[in-house]
Amino acid sequence: MKYIKPFISEIPWKYSWYYSAMSLFESQSENRQSGEPERCLQANNREFNTLFGYPNNTIKTSKYNVLNFLPLNLFEQFQRLANAYFLILLFLQLIPQISSLAWYTTVIPLMVVLSITAVKDAIDDLKRHQNDNQVNNRSVLVLTNGRMKEDKWMNIQVGDIVKVENNQSVTADMLLLSSSEPYSLTYIETAELDGETNLKVKQAISVTSDMENNLKLLSAFDGEVRCESPNNKLDKFAGILTYKGKNYILDHDKLLLRGCVIRNTDWCYGLVIYTGPDTKLMQNCGKSTFKRTHIDHLMNVLVLWIFLFLGSMCFILAVGHGIWENKKGYYFQNFLPWKEYVSSSVVSAILMFWSYFIILNTVVPISLYVSVEIIRLGNSYYINWDRKMFYAPKNTPAQARTTTLNEELGQVKYVFSDKTGTLTQNIMIFKKCSINGTLYGDVYDKNGQRVEVSEKTEKVDFSYNKLADPKFSFYDKTLVEAVKRGDGRVHLFFLSLSLCHTVMSEEKVEGELVYQAQSPDEGALVTAARNFGFAFRSRTSETITVVEMGETKVYQLLAILDFDNVRKRMSVIVRTPEDRVMLFCKGADTIVCQLLHPSCRSLGDVTMEHLDDFAIEGLRTLMVAYRELDNAFFQAWSKKHSEVCLSLEDRENKISNVSEEIEKDLMLLGATAIEDKLQDGVLETIITLNKAKIKMWTLTGDKQETAVNIAYACNIFEDEMDEIFIVEGKDDETIWQELRSARAKMKPESLLESDPVNSYLTMKPKMPFKIPEEVPNGNYGLVINGYSLAYALEGNLELELLRTACMCKAVICCRMTPLQKAQVVELVKRYKKVVTLAIGDGANDVSMIKAAHIGIGISGQEGMQAMLNSDYAFCQFHYLRRLLLVHGRWSYNRMCKFLSYFFYKNFVFTLVHFWYAFFSGFSAQTVYDTWFITFYNLVYTSLPVLGLSLFDQDVNETWSLRFPELYEPGQHNLYFNKKEFIALETTYWTMISHFFIWGSLGFYFCVLFFLYSDGLCLMFPNVFQFLGVARNILKLPQLWLSLVLSVVLCMLPVIGYQFLKPLFWPVSVDKVIDRIHHCMRHPLPPPIRTKVKHASSRRSAYAFSHKQGFGALITSGKTMKGKPKKSSLLKK
Amino acid sequence: MKRTPQDCPSRLPENTAVKQQQLPACRLQLSATGILSGFFATGVFCLGMGVILILSAKSSMEIEINYTKICASCAKLRENARNFDKECTCSIPFHLTQTMRGNVYMYYKLYGFYQNLHGYLLSRSNSQLLGTDVKDVETCAPFSKSHDGTPIAPCGAIANSLFNGTTKPPSWPKPVYELDENDPGNNGFLNDDFIVWMRTAAFPTFKKLYRRLSRTQHFIEGLPAGNYSFNVSYNFPVTRFQGEKSVVLSTLTWSGGHSLFLGLAYTVTGAMTWLAAFSMMAVHLKLKGKRFSPDDKVKL
Repeated sequence: MKYIKPFISEIPWKYSWYYSAMSLFESQSENRQSGEPERCLQANNREFNTLFGYPNNTIKTSKYNVLNFLPLNLFEQFQRLANAYFLILLFLQLIPQISSLAWYTTVIPLMVVLSITAVKDAIDDLKRHQNDNQVNNRSVLVLTNGRMKEDKWMNIQVGDIVKVENNQSVTADMLLLSSSEPYSLTYIETAELDGETNLKVKQAISVTSDMENNLKLLSAFDGEVRCESPNNKLDKFAGILTYKGKNYILDHDKLLLRGCVIRNTDWCYGLVIYTGPDTKLMQNCGKSTFKRTHIDHLMNVLVLWIFLFLGSMCFILAVGHGIWENKKGYYFQNFLPWKEYVSSSVVSAILMFWSYFIILNTVVPISLYVSVEIIRLGNSYYINWDRKMFYAPKNTPAQARTTTLNEELGQVKYVFSDKTGTLTQNIMIFKKCSINGTLYGDVYDKNGQRVEVSEKTEKVDFSYNKLADPKFSFYDKTLVEAVKRGDGRVHLFFLSLSLCHTVMSEEKVEGELVYQAQSPDEGALVTAARNFGFAFRSRTSETITVVEMGETKVYQLLAILDFDNVRKRMSVIVRTPEDRVMLFCKGADTIVCQLLHPSCRSLGDVTMEHLDDFAIEGLRTLMVAYRELDNAFFQAWSKKHSEVCLSLEDRENKISNVSEEIEKDLMLLGATAIEDKLQDGVLETIITLNKAKIKMWTLTGDKQETAVNIAYACNIFEDEMDEIFIVEGKDDETIWQELRSARAKMKPESLLESDPVNSYLTMKPKMPFKIPEEVPNGNYGLVINGYSLAYALEGNLELELLRTACMCKAVICCRMTPLQKAQVVELVKRYKKVVTLAIGDGANDVSMIKAAHIGIGISGQEGMQAMLNSDYAFCQFHYLRRLLLVHGRWSYNRMCKFLSYFFYKNFVFTLVHFWYAFFSGFSAQTVYDTWFITFYNLVYTSLPVLGLSLFDQDVNETWSLRFPELYEPGQHNLYFNKKEFIALETTYWTMISHFFIWGSLGFYFCVLFFLYSDGLCLMFPNVFQFLGVARNILKLPQLWLSLVLSVVLCMLPVIGYQFLKPLFWPVSVDKVIDRIHHCMRHPLPPPIRTKVKHASSRRSAYAFSHKQGFGALITSGKTMKGKPKKSSLLKK
Repeated sequence: MKRTPQDCPSRLPENTAVKQQQLPACRLQLSATGILSGFFATGVFCLGMGVILILSAKSSMEIEINYTKICASCAKLRENARNFDKECTCSIPFHLTQTMRGNVYMYYKLYGFYQNLHGYLLSRSNSQLLGTDVKDVETCAPFSKSHDGTPIAPCGAIANSLFNGTTKPPSWPKPVYELDENDPGNNGFLNDDFIVWMRTAAFPTFKKLYRRLSRTQHFIEGLPAGNYSFNVSYNFPVTRFQGEKSVVLSTLTWSGGHSLFLGLAYTVTGAMTWLAAFSMMAVHLKLKGKRFSPDDKVKL
């Protein structure tokens, strides 16, 4: 494949039928592509466009049709190793010289497996056919002969002009020509492409947007488009439109992609560029990369060893046969002459090798793979079905998007977590503020004691304000009183909050404002201002309308100096209705306080104190200031500003220089404090994970102070920690020093040359090696920022970093780029050889989610990117505890038991033949009836094994949550490894287990009587040979006595071992299980409640999480809709 | 623009026992006393069973007379296939010290005769034996057809080697319909000896029922003590592949013949179980204190 498919999983699960489009048309499109270096098309000219043979807009995701289903499906199935192996066996069996088993012993299981898969495939494909039909037959308006005509999607061709209306899906990838909105803006939702639900804006080029919905002009449009050939890059498009002799450059801002939905736009016209399989959506479909688990790997190794074992067994038996034929068989020819093709005992032995290869095939657990898939599927369904991982507010259950990783969930050793949206809710709540030196937001009771805000606390009544947002709650009445009193500073404070932002408002029903904010912080601030009586109502490119205490005022917007990461502030300049020119600024305190007018110094000090208080509580803070501008000064500045805006070189830098000229001598108004709420249960989850010896690393893009603060708040760092190391060096040498000195404190001997790890490292092993666990002498934490990390992740330092970081109990990396997040995960993965898990919610977490063994997406606020790339997805961080400790642990235990059981039963079954060979002259005679061999794996033993591996629970969920220590064996992969096969026991007998086990046993006897019945034997005497054997043999007391004895002999050693093991070699798990049994026998003590601790009193700096807003768009004149409805509102 | 959750039906998973993994179940939890008493009980059962089985096996009588060496000269003669029409008999005297009471069964026992070879086992035609298709001899190679192409009946290696020495399919001295000329119900494919032989043995050492003592006149009690002798017409060469032949006389009980294997196995198992139970109890008592150390209890 030419394309690697990095975007694959960006296709939402709803569209999973697209996935399977796969190789078929990919190969088609690729072939064509090689001949299509560039695409050329002309609008409204089908004759011209058909010359190039572009496909029409039909999509075909189905694989089969009635005719090719059987051959194609069989071909695909035989590509699987297991089936291919069976097929080879079958061929071996058909060679009469070596056939030792009847052909049906292989054919019947193979047929059953093949037909089950085929039926499943057929049903899937049928669904795809239906989906394809439904999609292909959707109707859309096409311009034909000067008229709009309805046509089916599949009939759309390259070069057609199509009209798409509000809330309709885009038919094909098309060039936006015009739309109902001013400046031909078109709003689209790309949820199906990238999962993001926020609206995006596309704009047509002016020459086409003038055509609007004039059909005459549109049908006369004969522009020619030359553009790149179809590809899978969602955010790239390059082309040239030639119209009336002029060339216009096209980029992806002008392209509407198939899969998008038009929103807030009544209609738009587009010129179809890519159709059907050429569209970017379809080009992005394909198989996603496969993550494999440790157990998978182990299984492969085991199967390989078993193959060798099988080979050597066959070899031994063949040699045995050769010797036997020489000594006995040769003289036994009176009774059994050698076959004509056997010239000597050597030939006979060679043939016997293959005969035994057939007989002993059951020792190779090929059907294992199929069973493992079933078990994993079952265990994934348990995750989907878990009500305790269902998040009611979003109506979203947990979702296992990958079904192959379950048991790995029981082995996690490192958790890499994002902060925003994962640990925190990413819901910002306006909590407190400091205005003109007075702190608002605390609640006091009658005695003047500070009260913790709870649900019972009385909320402030905003009923005086008709525009108030009912969801907003605030508890300190003094602030409302100050507003009502008409305190000038307070009014100015809220006015600045309602003016200085880039929020867009929407008012579908009068009085119900909906804000679209770029960052939740900003939304929270504007909402707060709105509730206190300064409601931002609407904006145009030149005005901002604010309802001030019930009175509508229109401010002229003169300039927006937008936020960026360097400036860390934003300002607006407005002309008030009273004709004053005002600048309002808000920004990070460290920046804003340097811009203040000297007269504000004392106020500044008080405010700084308040900011300290806010920071202690972990609140995110902003400073707010204003400046009244002299009209002449402003005019002069404005001129300079607009000049700079037009400059081509180094524009951004120049703009920021000009902005600095006006953002000075600010008068301080106050500060805001926004709570970045922790998610529910984060604290308990982290404590539990800690107890389960899972190491928690926080990787965040936030700045150090915020990250550390949150880390304390959610107990990743504890006050009792011995020391927190901070690595913030700016070059190799310092960082090396910092890392070494940290290690010197944690474990001084690890720096000595005699340390085993050091001596190992000096040997410079070439193979990928594993760094062993090193135990420090206490509890330590490590903070490292992105800048230092860039150095630390390079060559020599990465091992230093890894060794130091892994000794710490918790690690926080801040200011990380998405790529670095992935690098850190890779680093741990590479050298620690343990299972890693990454959890995050944003697009910036995608890389680490993909890099880790297990990726978990939180379907939260920040779109769906992370979730779409994840292996598991749920809504709340604290479900992680359940996922790992309950589902993960069970899955791991079940898988281990299953594997042991499976290997056990196959070995027992097969080794009997090895033993019997010594008594049957190594002649490849089986002990069992061929029918028993046929049914053994398929019918008699499959259900008990499956039952065990789907229903077994060694301890129930309550205990596994209460004793996280139980999780440890999985981390060290204790239950299933090359050294030991665990003793087998079903510890959890549900009705279904009983049914499966006794049912299978009962079924065995039924089948036995049936197969040995007179009827069958008389009908097919050559196939069913054991006439009357069952009834005769079952009458013998010896049989039953031997049966009882075998059961006793099999059970007793196992039980004895189980009894003695914890006594002689107590593992911590045994102790825990002991305790659990103890607890079960005695009345339940109240569960341990972990006290919720609040963040310690640590000075933190102030967060300013903000993104560049719509500023550019607003000031460039391309406003949000200036609908007549709204302007009439304004006049009122 | 956002789809509100209220619009779509709730996706709350069903609250069924299977889906929530809350199936009622009994958990196997064996306490130390449980396990130990289980061991002791099993031990008692096994020992008891063993003793009963041994006693019952001892109550039966079995004597075996190996005549491989006694009839060595006949064996020598038979090794040369050209002598197939020469008769050779040998007489094997034996002494019965005790009366064998009850039904006495006479078996022939073969050592090192591989009735369980894969090729040997396949060489038979069930449809021919059943009579559904007498000419169906396809599976009987290499004993399917005689030189002139007529199908052999009964065909195949098993039938060919019928142990009575007399051979007709190539090496049988008389045809199948002469197996027992005295009793038409025991002739042809229905001949008891033939049927017994066709039920192949699983191991190279096996014994097969040949005759029963007819309990008339002074044999009503069983087989009285005294001197007896077998007259064997020796037809069946086994010496070439180091096989041995013998005759077995035996009485039966409810638990089978004279074999002590099952009884001994039970006894040994029982003894081992008791031994294990005692040592486990000792270990348990000694180490019990360590399991619940005081600090563990504090954690609780």
